[in-house]
Amino acid sequence: MAVIEVKNVQLTYRVLMNRTGSLKELFRDAIKGRVRINNYVALDDVSFSVDKGEVVAVLGKNGAGKSTLLKVLARVLPPTAGSVTINGKIAPMIELGAGFHPELTGAENVVFYSTLMGRDIKKTKAKLFEIGEWAGVTDHMNFPLRTFSSGMVARLAFATATSETSEVLLVDEILSVGDANFQEKSRNRMNEMIRNGAAVVLVSHDMNAVRTLATRAIWLERGKVKMSGDPEQVVSAYEKSFQ
Amino acid sequence: MQSLQLIRLLVGRELTLRYKRSVLGIGWTLLNPMLTSFILWIVFSFIFASRLPDGTQYAPYLMAGVLFINFINQGIQAAAEAIAGNGAILTKVYVNPQIFTISAALASLTNFAIGMIPLTIVIYISGQTLVWTFPLVFVVGFFLALLIAGIGLILSIMYIRFDDTRNIVILLLMILNYVTPIFYPIGILGERMQKIVNLNPLTSYADCLRWAASNNANATLLDWTVVIVTGFLSPIIGSLVFRKFWPRTVAML
Repeated sequence: MAVIEVKNVQLTYRVLMNRTGSLKELFRDAIKGRVRINNYVALDDVSFSVDKGEVVAVLGKNGAGKSTLLKVLARVLPPTAGSVTINGKIAPMIELGAGFHPELTGAENVVFYSTLMGRDIKKTKAKLFEIGEWAGVTDHMNFPLRTFSSGMVARLAFATATSETSEVLLVDEILSVGDANFQEKSRNRMNEMIRNGAAVVLVSHDMNAVRTLATRAIWLERGKVKMSGDPEQVVSAYEKSFQ
Repeated sequence: MQSLQLIRLLVGRELTLRYKRSVLGIGWTLLNPMLTSFILWIVFSFIFASRLPDGTQYAPYLMAGVLFINFINQGIQAAAEAIAGNGAILTKVYVNPQIFTISAALASLTNFAIGMIPLTIVIYISGQTLVWTFPLVFVVGFFLALLIAGIGLILSIMYIRFDDTRNIVILLLMILNYVTPIFYPIGILGERMQKIVNLNPLTSYADCLRWAASNNANATLLDWTVVIVTGFLSPIIGSLVFRKFWPRTVAML
């Protein structure tokens, strides 16, 4: 059984064509019958599935729908048509640390972030020390996050997101967290999760990373799947399109 | 289960952040309604105190009114802003967004509950005593939190879609403050105005609150019915509207 099953997914953004998002103006325009709505198709008939242990890389230019696709997979954006089925827990590694607050301590932030991701609060509290140690911020866990360096915040976020095994990893360009040493460490942890059977969907502009990590690649253009298959072939076709 | 844990964390977070930012910390929550009430008392006690029905004291009447309207003003604004303010989270991690609105309403309820301490002080100073019905103030508070959560759910959709909702809401809240008997006794109004104010369900909430705290107003069975019915209906309707519009709205965050 596939871990991720995407069937004919379509996502349309509705854009009001009045100048600002103002209730007064909308009201005025509605009276005059001038409300115009434009549909912007971000994803169009996208289908694919991801099995256990597979790493699927999504390629495409800016605005091709990559981030929208990740958000649909993370269940944040409901698709306009089609369906997404995901069997298992999702670890969305999209702009890590989105729930972090500078005034709260490292430990408080870890607990909050984990609970947001649907993890049990007691389990997280038991793992606090381990998470802090892995991120290399043990001494700082009880200080407000604003006293952390940006590298420390990123490391803590990564350590929290990956502290529990998940069946699905959604990765948005985060393979470059921290210094070289930590990058090595985080890459190892990702590989370990993949070996343990996690399904990974990865959005990246780094073609070398795609070549080495991915087992399959999907090329999106204007919301449609232009090509999918062996990463080597898709990447070279994609790179050719720039020439 | 997990939602409850998250609500508890969010309420705690809301409160610690609020108190961390102010020098006086939690003291401000105690002091603020007392100072506001004191100023209003100086200004209005000459005019209104004699117009209250017999046995009613103006100081606790005013204080309960101030705590009540602060709860509504802050609660509705916080609940309406909760989802837009946490947009960064909601576009990255899947959480039921309604949790943020509910948590904001509950955080305001906690502040209201803390405000009951200075209210008891004012009740004693004014020469009244607490009555056995006092715990019912928390029941009124709870239903008010439900009412606020429901209104907040509908408003939060509009806050995301239209930038000027905020200004309109502030204006509407101001009007609402005046058509609720907060600092004036309802008896000073003309007959037609009285009818309008009595149609406002918040008048029932205020009556129930004052009656429960120190038997300082008349609360009829109808008032309690209004409190319970609006309190239950609001989050149900709010949630229905919210779920209908949310799929379209989340894309705008």
